Amino acid sequence: MKSKFIKIFIVILLIILTLSFNSSYQSLSISNIAFVVSMAIDTSTTNNLKVTFQFTKPSSVSENGSSDSDSSIVNSVEASSISSAINLMNAYVGKELSLSHCKLIVFSEEFAKNGISDEIFTLMNDNQVRPSTNIVVSKCTAKSYIENSKPIFEPLITKYYEGYTNSSSYTGYTTDATIGRFFNNMNCDTCEPFAILGGINSESKASDSTVPSEKDSNIKSNESAITGSLRSENIGLAVFKDDTLVGELTAIENLAFLCTRNQIDGFLISVPSPNDENKSIDIYLTPQKNTKIKASIVNGSPYINLEYTFTGRIYSMSSDSDYLNNDILTEVSDVCNSYLESVFSAFLYKTAKEFNSDIVGIGKHILSSFETSSDFEEYDWSQNYKNSFFNVNVQSNVKSGFLLM
Amino acid sequence: MPDTKISTKEAIMLIISIIIAHTIVTLPATLLKNSKSGILVNIVYVSILALLFAFILYRLFKNFQSQDIFDISDYLGGPFLKNLIGIIFIIYFISSSGILLRNFAEGLKVIYFPNTNILFIILSFIITICITNSLSFRSNIKVISIILPFVIVSIFFLFIGNLPSFSFERVLPILGEGFFNTFVVGTGNIIAFSGISCLYIIPPLLKKPEDFKKIALTGIAISALYLILCVSTLLFMFSFFLKVDEILPLYTAASYIEYGSFFQRLDSIFLLIWMLEICCYLTITSKFSSIIFKKITNLKYQKPLTFVFPLLIFSVALLPKTVAISKLLGNILYRFISLSVVFCLGFVILLLANIKKLHYNRKHKEGNQ
Repeated sequence: MKSKFIKIFIVILLIILTLSFNSSYQSLSISNIAFVVSMAIDTSTTNNLKVTFQFTKPSSVSENGSSDSDSSIVNSVEASSISSAINLMNAYVGKELSLSHCKLIVFSEEFAKNGISDEIFTLMNDNQVRPSTNIVVSKCTAKSYIENSKPIFEPLITKYYEGYTNSSSYTGYTTDATIGRFFNNMNCDTCEPFAILGGINSESKASDSTVPSEKDSNIKSNESAITGSLRSENIGLAVFKDDTLVGELTAIENLAFLCTRNQIDGFLISVPSPNDENKSIDIYLTPQKNTKIKASIVNGSPYINLEYTFTGRIYSMSSDSDYLNNDILTEVSDVCNSYLESVFSAFLYKTAKEFNSDIVGIGKHILSSFETSSDFEEYDWSQNYKNSFFNVNVQSNVKSGFLLM
Repeated sequence: MPDTKISTKEAIMLIISIIIAHTIVTLPATLLKNSKSGILVNIVYVSILALLFAFILYRLFKNFQSQDIFDISDYLGGPFLKNLIGIIFIIYFISSSGILLRNFAEGLKVIYFPNTNILFIILSFIITICITNSLSFRSNIKVISIILPFVIVSIFFLFIGNLPSFSFERVLPILGEGFFNTFVVGTGNIIAFSGISCLYIIPPLLKKPEDFKKIALTGIAISALYLILCVSTLLFMFSFFLKVDEILPLYTAASYIEYGSFFQRLDSIFLLIWMLEICCYLTITSKFSSIIFKKITNLKYQKPLTFVFPLLIFSVALLPKTVAISKLLGNILYRFISLSVVFCLGFVILLLANIKKLHYNRKHKEGNQ
């Protein structure tokens, strides 16, 4: 009799538990969910913000492997907040929006200039948003950036976004900026946040550099000379001070940023030829060691010493090249050193004097100059970064060409 | 009863399991907030203090072979003191378990069960404890011995997996808010080792009571290493824990681990392992409560208590009205109750009992002469 009661009790308990957990699983059911692949946030004339959601079409890849030309759906809504926009879109599409597969969050330049703290905190509060979601500041409207992001080599938009920033490790022209890191840096006393600089390519834009080789690297999104069927582009970096967009970096400055943060495997750079200033030599440089950063306080101002070490091989060749000659290679190395020193110095001073934003995170290297955390807080690094002085030293060892000498 | 006797290795696992359960919820972030960048030095310091404390306990227990704190209380102040200490320890175990369970369940609700009432999430853990409670203590310990290595490996993997995101410079200034804050105010962080509480109870349960010293010191040393890994992961990786509160800080760290596009979202594996660890912790505390209750009431059988203590834990877990209250209780009440019960009350009882014994021995000697 007793065991019978126990059995009945267990069955009732199991039914109760099944029913109570059912509501959570029902809401997570794939038939009730619309997966957002990317999200764009723009300013709105009628409300606080305009949010655009990009969804995948479930049938975008056919059975034989070919894909539809337009594999995504883009819907917009104007609302007072992100949460409200999601709610309105839930009602519109008749499904619950899931951000668990959202690969990209785009803010328009105009919106980011007014501060994005509330939006970032709201997104990080949502447990569906992955910290690895890329964050982009678009030079054009965020909506048009998403609309123009159409994969040309991948069948699915999600695949395209997955390999979105892969080129940063071997070109240095873009950065793998994620919302997790952005949130961390926004709440950090020793660093500032940054985002990928995005835009749409157009044929009319050109760099104002006089030297042709510099034109290649002094570009950024919306100002590049690239044209093609993939109209969206990611070149350069969006610099923030706290939560507000304060400036942009070009491709070469982004390269300097990645070199200083040790986030690059190798890169191609055009340096002026030692013999002819109008000509340039293309060198593929690989960091040999991590950048050494030493920071101290001298007369109340931060003094930062940076040492970069590279090895390189010459890409550009001509019939009269003689890259077996040690003197020529030393000359090329020296030119390379002075060129990179000027580029890196210009980048660092730009972040300090123009933006007053320590995106590199030099602040953590100056922590050793303070006895206590309170001393560091009193010093107010985020305001004192603009008083920094930099001493950049580049040691590059250009060896030879690749197959040809 | 030979069934309840546990081996030296199992006893070590038991201590580690109790200590590390609290690190899964908010403890590492609370420690980090208290000591800032000086947390690593502070953890090493409190670990040394905890080891010293455990060694002193060993010395104090030496005069009372195979006796627990309740037998010793009985010797010191009679049945009244024994019952009082027993009730205090039961309250300590029930309250700390209830609050820990509530905080963990709140995290689970946010992450996986948004539409499920918190009551049912807590209830599923309570049912687990009821089942494990109906089994023998030894079988419980054996299961804990299987689960615990996974928990330790998970934290090690959490550290290794996040290594590329670390900024080791965040350890500076090495003393955080200064010497006083790290070594005087920071002494309070010894609550991280409040799992020492089980040292007061396990002596009669040990197969080899002579290994008490080894059990205490090894358990605390391994827990200290574990704690250093937890805190280091948060310290080197995030700067926002000093300003922003997270519901499960280690879960946040786990969500950053990704290996290419194939190994992603490993956080669910971590959460599964940590759920098992919470079950282990709740099993131990509820079992200890049953053992204490049986001891102070001189009950012959423990079986009727199978559901009593899990239900008490359930009630305590449901007490806080909001997450904010349960977090506050988890941070402040747990800190206060751990310091007063584990590090003051238990110690004072042992010390006084030793003085009484010394005095008695001296008197006895003089009487013989």
